[in-house]
Amino acid sequence: MLCALSRWMISRAADTGKTPPRVVERHLRRCRACAESARFASSLPARFTGDKDAFLAAVPDFPLDEAAWTKEPARTNERTSLYRRFALRPVPAVAGILAVVAAAFLVYRLAVREPGPTPEDLAAGRAALQSLVAAPESVQSALAGAASSLEQERRVLEKSIASAAEYLQARLNIKIERKIPGQDL
Amino acid sequence: MTDLDPIEARTDEELAREARAGSRRSFEVLAHRYKRRLFVYLRSRTGSAEDAEDLVQDTFLKLFRGIGGYDPARRFSTWLYTAAGRLAIDAYRKGKAGRNRLAIDDIKDPSAGPEVDPGQSGGTALWDAARTLGGDRFRALWLRYGEDLTIEEIAAVLGRTGVAVRILLYRARTELGRRLGPARRPFAPGAASRASTRL
Repeated sequence: MLCALSRWMISRAADTGKTPPRVVERHLRRCRACAESARFASSLPARFTGDKDAFLAAVPDFPLDEAAWTKEPARTNERTSLYRRFALRPVPAVAGILAVVAAAFLVYRLAVREPGPTPEDLAAGRAALQSLVAAPESVQSALAGAASSLEQERRVLEKSIASAAEYLQARLNIKIERKIPGQDL
Repeated sequence: MTDLDPIEARTDEELAREARAGSRRSFEVLAHRYKRRLFVYLRSRTGSAEDAEDLVQDTFLKLFRGIGGYDPARRFSTWLYTAAGRLAIDAYRKGKAGRNRLAIDDIKDPSAGPEVDPGQSGGTALWDAARTLGGDRFRALWLRYGEDLTIEEIAAVLGRTGVAVRILLYRARTELGRRLGPARRPFAPGAASRASTRL
């Protein structure tokens, strides 16, 4: 455990440039393997630097394509060619635009906009209005009929409520009074 | 006796600043200075010499066109390796790299120790051994010892945290030590105390 910790601290010290803690130095005096490891780690910078030139010399040389540096970027060429293709062939582009407009118009006509009234519907509506204007008494009688049916409905409801109240008075032995004075149930 | 071209003696950052100001010659010097170093780095990434060479060309092309974006406060090598790494990722995603990929065992074979003499100097034994550790570990070692980048700079290039880079280096050193260090070298008395003072 101490060996692993010491080697980590040695490696860390090599990276940070700081000296390792005293406990590690004491451990290195006692542990032969860790001392070897520390010695190896400390020798690495010089050895790597010393071997670097020979290592790079063994790498095969190759020429740099310096002419490509000043060429126009490929992406710009693609954009230009796309623009040119579009500009030199206006007919397909215009046909496409027209097709899109026609499709949008059809969709608007068929799906979005509701159909208007037919001439027959308009004629029937006019005839109904004319009949109302021509015979006002029939309108009065229709209104009176509607009013009387409402009155009947009110009476039926009143009777039902009164019946329910009587049942409750008899069952629970209580007296239910109407809020409006003078009117008994 | 031939005199060294003064431009060759300039630092990377000086050349990059001049290239940023419009000097093509400065950029050419930088490119020739770094092409093999970048090739080594990218070869470990792609696993193929041909793909690595293509990526080196692409990297310098990209950097030449984007030299205006170079921040003089940063090291040129950090900028270069970061751009190269991104291009390698893009190429991998597009399937461009990998067509010429070697078998992965050719690149990293943790079990196979290199047949090298660790005591030799001026050879390529240590770097050859580092190459067999695998892509990430070799790249971390290359950036640390080959390019002398700091942990923070390596982390930026590799897109990792500083702790992850330290762990990567720790494992690389441990594995290298296992292969080349204590088992192959006799223990020298007193070496431990010398080592601790050198750290």
